[in-house]
Amino acid sequence: MSALVPGVILAVAMVVFVLHPIVSGREAHMEWDEEELTEAQHRRNVALLALRDVEYDFHAGKLDTTDYGRLKQEISAEALRAIDEEEAEWLARHAEPGDPGREEGEPPPEARAALEAEIAALRDSIRAGVICSQCGNPNPKGSRYCGDCGSGLPVQGSPTGHAVRGSVGSG
Amino acid sequence: MIPALGEFALWIALPISIWGCVLAFLGGRWNRGDLVLSAERSTYAISILFIIASIGIIAAFMRDQFQYWYVYNYSSTNLHPFFKFAGLWAGQRGSLLFWGLNLSLFASLAVWMNRSRNRDLMPYMNGVLLAFIGFFISISLFVTPPFEQLGFTPADGRGLNPQLQNYWMTIHPPTMYVGFTSFNVPFAFAISALMVGRLDARWIQATRKWILTSWFFLTLAIIFGMRWAYEELGWGGFWFWDPVENASLLPWLVATAFLHSVMIQESRGMLKVWNMGLVLLTFLMTIFATFLTRSGLIESVHSFAQNLTIAWIFLGCMGITGAVCLVLIVWRYPVLVSERQFESALSRESAFLLNNLVLLGAAFAVIWGTMFPLLTEGLTGSKVAVGPPFFNQVNIPIGLILLALMGIGPVIAWRKASARNLKKNFLLPVAVLVSTAAVLFSAGVRHPYALLTFSIGAFVLTIIVVEFWKGTRARARIERENAFTAFVHLVRRNRRRWGGYIVHVGVVVMFMGFAGSAFNREVRQSMVPGDSVAVDSPFGHEYVLTYQGLSTTLVPSMRQAIALFSVEKDGVPAGSITTQRQLNLAVSPPQPISEVGIRSTFVEDLYLILATVDDEVLLGSNEPEFQQATFQFQINPLVPWIWYGGLVIAAGALIGLWPGAGVPTRTGRLGTGSRRQDTSTPTPRSDAAATLG
Repeated sequence: MSALVPGVILAVAMVVFVLHPIVSGREAHMEWDEEELTEAQHRRNVALLALRDVEYDFHAGKLDTTDYGRLKQEISAEALRAIDEEEAEWLARHAEPGDPGREEGEPPPEARAALEAEIAALRDSIRAGVICSQCGNPNPKGSRYCGDCGSGLPVQGSPTGHAVRGSVGSG
Repeated sequence: MIPALGEFALWIALPISIWGCVLAFLGGRWNRGDLVLSAERSTYAISILFIIASIGIIAAFMRDQFQYWYVYNYSSTNLHPFFKFAGLWAGQRGSLLFWGLNLSLFASLAVWMNRSRNRDLMPYMNGVLLAFIGFFISISLFVTPPFEQLGFTPADGRGLNPQLQNYWMTIHPPTMYVGFTSFNVPFAFAISALMVGRLDARWIQATRKWILTSWFFLTLAIIFGMRWAYEELGWGGFWFWDPVENASLLPWLVATAFLHSVMIQESRGMLKVWNMGLVLLTFLMTIFATFLTRSGLIESVHSFAQNLTIAWIFLGCMGITGAVCLVLIVWRYPVLVSERQFESALSRESAFLLNNLVLLGAAFAVIWGTMFPLLTEGLTGSKVAVGPPFFNQVNIPIGLILLALMGIGPVIAWRKASARNLKKNFLLPVAVLVSTAAVLFSAGVRHPYALLTFSIGAFVLTIIVVEFWKGTRARARIERENAFTAFVHLVRRNRRRWGGYIVHVGVVVMFMGFAGSAFNREVRQSMVPGDSVAVDSPFGHEYVLTYQGLSTTLVPSMRQAIALFSVEKDGVPAGSITTQRQLNLAVSPPQPISEVGIRSTFVEDLYLILATVDDEVLLGSNEPEFQQATFQFQINPLVPWIWYGGLVIAAGALIGLWPGAGVPTRTGRLGTGSRRQDTSTPTPRSDAAATLG
C-alpha cells in the first residue's frame, strides 16, 4: 500500500513526460541535418578513400605500375562523377528563394562563382593527380610540394606519378 | 516498498512501450515530429522505469525479502552482498529483467546519439527497439515475473548455486548481456533502412561502431567465460563446445564476418544484400542463443531449468523476426543489388568474401552440432549427443583457414593484385612459415594441427609486422618523424585498420594458446599424504608435487576438502598449491564442485584437480584413514597465451573504437591530427579535401 502513492506519482510523471510533445506541439527534429553526408558525398568519399588506398597499395608494393595507373584513372572518374552530383545537390541546397533578379532556387551569383571555381580546381587536381594525399589540398599542376601542408606530391610527367617524398596512405 | 515500486514501474512501462512503438511508426509515416518526440520520450521513460524495477529486485535481495519467489530461490541470509547484487542476473527471472534494462538503456543511448541525425531512419528504428522492449517487459510481467510473491515469508532462502559464487559471476554474465542486447541497435537500424528504402552506405556508417562495440563486449564475454570455466568448473580446460558456449559463439562468428565484409561495401559499394543479411542474421543468432539458454531444451552447464513456454515464445519471436527480415529484403532487393562486380579473384575483396564464407561455414557447423541432439530426439525419439570430437574435427581446419586468411588479406591489394606483386610480398612470410615448420619439426613437434598453427601464426605475424614497418617507415620519411612518433601517428590516422591488425595479433597469440593443448601432460593418481608425483613439462623441466594432506572446513551450506601440495621445479622448491573439492549442501542431493589449483608461468600452467575424495572427508572427518584421495595433475602448455591474446584483442578493438577513428561526417574529416581547411560553409571541394586527409 505504501508503494501506491509513489507509484501513482511515478505513473503520472511518466505519462506527462511522454504526452507533453503532443499536448504542447513540441516536435522532434525531422529534417536532414547539414552535418550529415548525402549519398553523393558518401560516394565521393568512397572514391577518394579508394584513391588513398591505391596510393598506399602502390607504395607498399602491392600494385604494379600498370594496375596502379589503370585503377587511379578509374577511381578518379568515379570521384569526378560523384563530385558533379554533389555540386548539383549543393547548388540546390544553397539556393535562396525570393532574391530579385534571380529565379526561384537559383543561388547567389558570387556563391555560384566561388563554388564553380573550387570545383574546377578540384577536378583539375584530380585529373592532374596533384591532390595532396596528406591534407587533401588541390595543388596547381607541376607542384612538387603541397601548398597547404608541405608534403611531397607525385612528380608530374612521371608515368607512375612517383612521389617526391612518397605518401603515407592508410586505407 | 522499493520492490513494490519496482513492480509498479514494470506495469507502467508496458503501456508506454506499446504507445511509443505505435507512435514511432505513425510519426515516421506521417512525418509528425510531435509523435516521433513522444515515442522517443517513451524510450527514455522506459529506461528510467527499468532502472527502478532493477533497483527493486536488488533491494529485495539486499534486504533478504524471501517472500519473493526469485529472492528465495537465489539468495540466503549469509550470501555475500556482492552476490546479492549479482542476484539480479543469477536466475531466469531476474536476468530477463536485466536484459530488458540493458536493451532500454542502449535504445535510449541510440535515440539520444541520433537526436539530430539519421532523422529519416530514427522513428522506425525507435519503433523496432520499442517493440522488442515491449516483448521483454511482457515476458517479465506474464511469463517469468521477478516480483512474484510466495504468499508467506520463509526464514531463509535456498542460496545461490556455489558454482556461481565466483567473482566471474559479477563480470561474465553482464558483459555477455551487454554484447547481446547492443546487437539490437544495428538490427533496428538495418530494419529501418529497409523500411525507409535508404539503403546506401549511410546506414552502415550509423551502425558500424555499434556492431564493433557489441563485438567487443561479446568477445570479452566469451573470453571471460573461458577463464571462468578453466578456473572453476574442473573440466580441465577452457572450452568444451557446451551448447551455451556455442550459442554465444554464433552471433560472434556472424558479426566477425560482417565487420570484414562491411569494408567491401564501404570501399566498393558492393555486397549490400550480403551485409544486410549478416546484420539481421547476427541479431537472429542472439535470439537463437537466448532460446537455447532459456528454454533449457539442451542440457548445458549454463542452461536454466526447462521452460517450454519460454522456448515457444523465443522460437516464435525468432520465426516472426526472421520472416519480417526476409520479406523486407525481398521487397528492397532491387535497391540492394550492387551495380559492381568483383574485378579479380586476386583481390582483397575476394579474400574478405572467402573469410566470410569460412566464418559462416563455422557458424553452420556449430549450429548443426548443437542442435543435432534435439533433432535426433525429435526424429527418432532418442537423443544422440555430439561431443567435442565432432566440433574439433570440423572447426580446427576452419580455424586454420581463417588464421591463414588473416595474413593473406592485408597483403592483397583492393580491386586487383598482380601475381608478380603477390610473389614479392609473400616471399618473406612464406619463408618464415616454412622455417618455423622446419624448426618445430626438427625439435620433435609432430602434431599436424599444432605444427600448422604455429607455422601459419608465424606467417601472419610476419605480415602484420611488415605492414606496420612499411607504414611507419614511409610515415617517418615523409613527416621526418622518429620511428615511435611515426608509428603512433600511423595508427591514429586510421585506427580501424591498424586496430584490426592488433586484434589479428591477439587472435594469433590466442590460437597458439589453443594449439598448446596438443602437448598437454596429464597424470591421474591416488595418493596418501607424503606421496610424490613427477610431471614432465613439454618445455623440458620437471615438477615434483608432494601431497601434504587434506583438511576439511564447513562454510555455510557447503563442505570443503582442501588438499595441499608442495611443489618443486627441477629440484628447487617452488612454493605450494592447493585444490579443493566442495559439496554443496543447499541442494538435494548435495552437489560436488571442484575448485582447481593453478600455478601459472608465462608459458604454461600447472593445473591440479582433486578428482575424488572419500565421502567421510566431505562429511567433516579429518581422520587420517580418510586422507587418501585421487588427483589429476596437468601441465597445460601455452594456456596463459589465450588470456594474453584476449588482452591484445581487447586493446586492438579499443583502438578501433576510439572516437575519431575515421568516421566521415559532413564537415569532419577522417582520422585525427589532420589540417582541415576552416570553411564555415563546407563545399564539395573542402569536403573532398577533408576526406582525403
